[in-house]
Amino acid sequence: MPVMNSPYMGRQPSEFKILTELEGVPNSRSLDVYKEHGGYAALEKVLKGGMSPDDVINLVKASGLRGRGGAGFPTGMKWGFVPKPAGEKYLITNFDEGEPGTYKDRYIAELNAHMLIEGKIIAAYAIGASKSYIYLRGEFYDEIAWCEQAIKEAYDAGYLGDNVLGTGFKHHMDVYVGAGAYICGEETGLISSLEGKKGQPKLKPPFPAVKGYLGKPTIVNNVETLAAVPWIIRNGAEAYKKFGTEKSAGTKLFNISGPVVRPGCYELPLGYPLKRFIYEDCGGLIGGKKLKAVIPGGASAPVLTAAEIENMTMDYEAFAAAGTMLGSGAVIVIPEDVSMVHVLENLMHFFKDESCGQCTPCREGTGWLLKMSRDIVNGDGAPGDAEKIADVAGKMMGRTICTFSDAAAGPARSIPQKFAHEFLEFYKNKASAAHAQG
Amino acid sequence: MSNQITLSINNQSISVPAGSTIMEAAQKLGVSVPHFCWHPGLSIAGVCRFCMVKVEGMPKLQIACNTPATEGMKVDTVSAEVKDAHKWALEFHLINHPLDCPICDQAGECELQNYYMKVGKYQSQMEDEKVLKPKALDVGDTLVLDTERCILCSRCVRFEDEVTKTSTLGIFNRGDQATIGTYQGRKIKHNYSYNLADICPVGAFTAKDFRFKCRVWFLKEAKTVCPGCSTGCSVNLFQNSNQREYYRLKPRHNAEVNGHWMCDTGRTMYEHLNASTRLSAPLLNGENVTFHAALQAVSDATKSVSADKVAVVFTAQFTSEEYSAVLNSLKTTLKGTPKVFVWREETETEESFDGILFRGDRNPNTRGMTEVLKQESVGASILKGDFSALANAGAELTLVFGPEVESAYPSLAKALSRFVELKKSVYFGNTLNEVAKKFWLRIPVKTFAEKSGTFVNFNGVAQKLKANPPVYPAVKAVDEYFADLGKLAQSAV
Amino acid sequence: MAFVNVSRDPERNFKNGYLATSLVGMGTTLVTFAKQVFGLEESNTVQWPEVEFQYSERFKGAHFLTKRPDGRVRCTACFLCATNCPAQCITIVAGESPDKGVEKYPVRFEIDILRCVFCGFCEEACPVDAIRMGPEYSMAGLAEQKWVYTKAYLLDREAVQRKVGEKQVSKKDENTKHDTVESSLPGVHAAHSGHDH
Repeated sequence: MPVMNSPYMGRQPSEFKILTELEGVPNSRSLDVYKEHGGYAALEKVLKGGMSPDDVINLVKASGLRGRGGAGFPTGMKWGFVPKPAGEKYLITNFDEGEPGTYKDRYIAELNAHMLIEGKIIAAYAIGASKSYIYLRGEFYDEIAWCEQAIKEAYDAGYLGDNVLGTGFKHHMDVYVGAGAYICGEETGLISSLEGKKGQPKLKPPFPAVKGYLGKPTIVNNVETLAAVPWIIRNGAEAYKKFGTEKSAGTKLFNISGPVVRPGCYELPLGYPLKRFIYEDCGGLIGGKKLKAVIPGGASAPVLTAAEIENMTMDYEAFAAAGTMLGSGAVIVIPEDVSMVHVLENLMHFFKDESCGQCTPCREGTGWLLKMSRDIVNGDGAPGDAEKIADVAGKMMGRTICTFSDAAAGPARSIPQKFAHEFLEFYKNKASAAHAQG
Repeated sequence: MSNQITLSINNQSISVPAGSTIMEAAQKLGVSVPHFCWHPGLSIAGVCRFCMVKVEGMPKLQIACNTPATEGMKVDTVSAEVKDAHKWALEFHLINHPLDCPICDQAGECELQNYYMKVGKYQSQMEDEKVLKPKALDVGDTLVLDTERCILCSRCVRFEDEVTKTSTLGIFNRGDQATIGTYQGRKIKHNYSYNLADICPVGAFTAKDFRFKCRVWFLKEAKTVCPGCSTGCSVNLFQNSNQREYYRLKPRHNAEVNGHWMCDTGRTMYEHLNASTRLSAPLLNGENVTFHAALQAVSDATKSVSADKVAVVFTAQFTSEEYSAVLNSLKTTLKGTPKVFVWREETETEESFDGILFRGDRNPNTRGMTEVLKQESVGASILKGDFSALANAGAELTLVFGPEVESAYPSLAKALSRFVELKKSVYFGNTLNEVAKKFWLRIPVKTFAEKSGTFVNFNGVAQKLKANPPVYPAVKAVDEYFADLGKLAQSAV
Repeated sequence: MAFVNVSRDPERNFKNGYLATSLVGMGTTLVTFAKQVFGLEESNTVQWPEVEFQYSERFKGAHFLTKRPDGRVRCTACFLCATNCPAQCITIVAGESPDKGVEKYPVRFEIDILRCVFCGFCEEACPVDAIRMGPEYSMAGLAEQKWVYTKAYLLDREAVQRKVGEKQVSKKDENTKHDTVESSLPGVHAAHSGHDH
């Protein structure tokens, strides 16, 4: 555990600015402001500086940049999966951002969407895609407008089009607005939606890098991942690796929600101590409440108890070792006065609503989990129900096309296991709980 | 060979072509892997998550239907872990299933029931209310849809998309509210709709034609050939043997002929088999006579004429054996070759084809008949709307072998009335028919379900029929009658 | 070793002889007869048909069909009784009910009572408590009587109504159905519990 000797002891979050460089800069969304801060220099360096696509991929590989959407797959390696021969290939940006508690991609678009667009053009150059899409969630009205505006500006400035910066590289970009389904944030679900079909994940194999959008090789990257690419090109892989831990390089946007004094989106290096983040950077819990639990990576991450976060650092490896995940970096803080049984019911409601209904264990299982947890909340529970929830969730895990059932099983297994005593209270207070619910 | 790979399933080794899935390898080996959504005639959906198997070296269980087999792969389908996965997959299918088996036509041939007995969990832990969905929906002229029974395997959706390309069906809503249904304002109307009821592993789609008529466990199946058109699909014919009543046909897989499917027209081919529509006794000059008397009349008639005064009118709905028997028998008794005519329906568009299975030639044995005529070196004239060739032949005895499936001959009555005009015309047929009464002699014959023999389809594929016990035991097939006629002629000598 | 010796010749033994035991039995009969004649003991004989013997409620006599609360037949024509019947005496013709909540019902339901062996397997097989073996035991009749019990007879005969009364209405709950299922059955559409949201 690299906590005690963390190099970030005593340093302020303001020192780690890669994605949030334009924070506080007036009129930050404009192209001019972006260019003043080094915008599109990376693109020029790539296209005019004689970097080959392989050079770009190797540089990104060397930087240790990993997918920021949740799974944390090394980005350079992912790009390397695309078959080399020329042909139609697609690059898609996953701007669906549906994970509860997450608002980092929106924050990037709010600061400056050009970061994303520049990163996208570089990535498209690396994999040889002449067309790319930004898949946006339908509810993000402002972000849709900002992205469209930025694309228009990029076209006008010659960064997009048939002849990018006069180098002969051809790239076109479009915004595609989804209808707002959590599952469309899943790589293949997103591709289905983009193809105009019902947003349902596709069977793998074939993998999208080989056969994706319209049957052509497709790379789907998160907004935050792509937005970090220009900085890496400009400053080099080594500079990026200075941030973070050995295996989790760079910075990451963390969104904290729950009753903390200063909630918001923070850019922090990976490996940053979680407890320090909550208590120092975010000012601790409102009214000095005691912390009960933390969901560290969005709704689908298994929950951590207050004791477990004591020495926890925020990086892929440390979270995985604790049986949870970094996910999208959405830290949800749960104070002592919130019942974990209610948290479970709330999360199960979300997963029941968002299951696409394709695979049987997930379709039927999420509904069943909600019914069981609702029964407990309503005072109809009996000893053994919490274990049954964990058991049923365990039987869904890893048995579906996508990882949605694993996501639903995350809280459904960890909450009954780690907070079994709270369930006992509900069984005991059967009558009163039923009364309180009315 | 480099395009063959060898893997082992439950320690049994099997070689399959490269690119095969574990499911295909298991099927080839005869290892049953439970499945709902996988169907060999459709694309892979991989949504039921029932066909879980353990592949050595992979941390998670894999679905057999979409995991490519690789060289040296070791697959396990029987370990405790796999069995537990099957149990739970079935449990998830069942928790919202209405279990209205008592009123469900699928009961008895339901894969959900079968798998429950094979791999079920038996003790369900589901104690909550089930999700309710619309029931008994009218989705077309042929099918009833019960969305509650549906397990959303999407076979029907894929069938509509891939086989008939009609895309009438879709899965609507999400999660446990997901429901199968037709798109707004659309009904299932194509000639292959009953296949949806067949491929539905549960009772979500049931056939209106069979609805509530009989429980399937009373039915016995016979492997036979559809007489509906010249494609000659391999079928199973279902009969309630206690009642001697036929209820339905279902396709039987035959890669050479029909694959997995058959058309709705073919499904009606049981209707003319049941007693209520059948001829049961010979009729001579409008009076019922014994079978012996009828044959004696034919035998006597053949004695008094020369071969060129006998006309034989064939329809291509009899077996090859029957054509041979008729021609050989007549050649012997007449000591010469009679005049042979082939009667074809005048509205028929022989060459038309719907692109899937159904052909314009509504006779199952056109090719077989042509082959027999060629073999016997008999030239035949075609009667199609124009019967003058027959009328001018001056025949004193005409043997008409009428179509078994009369629905394939819309202008049957008109044609029969032409035959009746002739001198001493004998009608061999099986269906109650007003015009047929007017023949000099009318002899009932067996249907395709009751006789053995061969149909040769348009493509030259010969298939054997399977004989069920006849509905009217005294009725014989044409070749049997002509064997009897031969004996009569011999005994007279 | 304990055993009963049965090898002795019974005729040599007065106590075990056939004649002797017959006489003892006759004696018992005479004593009982005398007691009943002189009113010392109550008679077990029932003066049938003037007096009707009361069998246990669980007596398995002639069949009857149960009803739904609205008086319609409870049977759903699943054919399980007909399948299970060892005597093959049940004939059912199923039809589509106008009530979508019922869906399937027996158009004809007939029991050939002369074939029936009163084994009770039909009752055992029934998944919906639709057929029961009733209390009626005096089914004797003449040759011209109709021995095939029809649906109407099984459902509404006087002998059953008199003895079974209200219990002919099955208490079995209907399965709850989706709101789109048109049905007049009581309790088929549960009051909406707000289950979805």
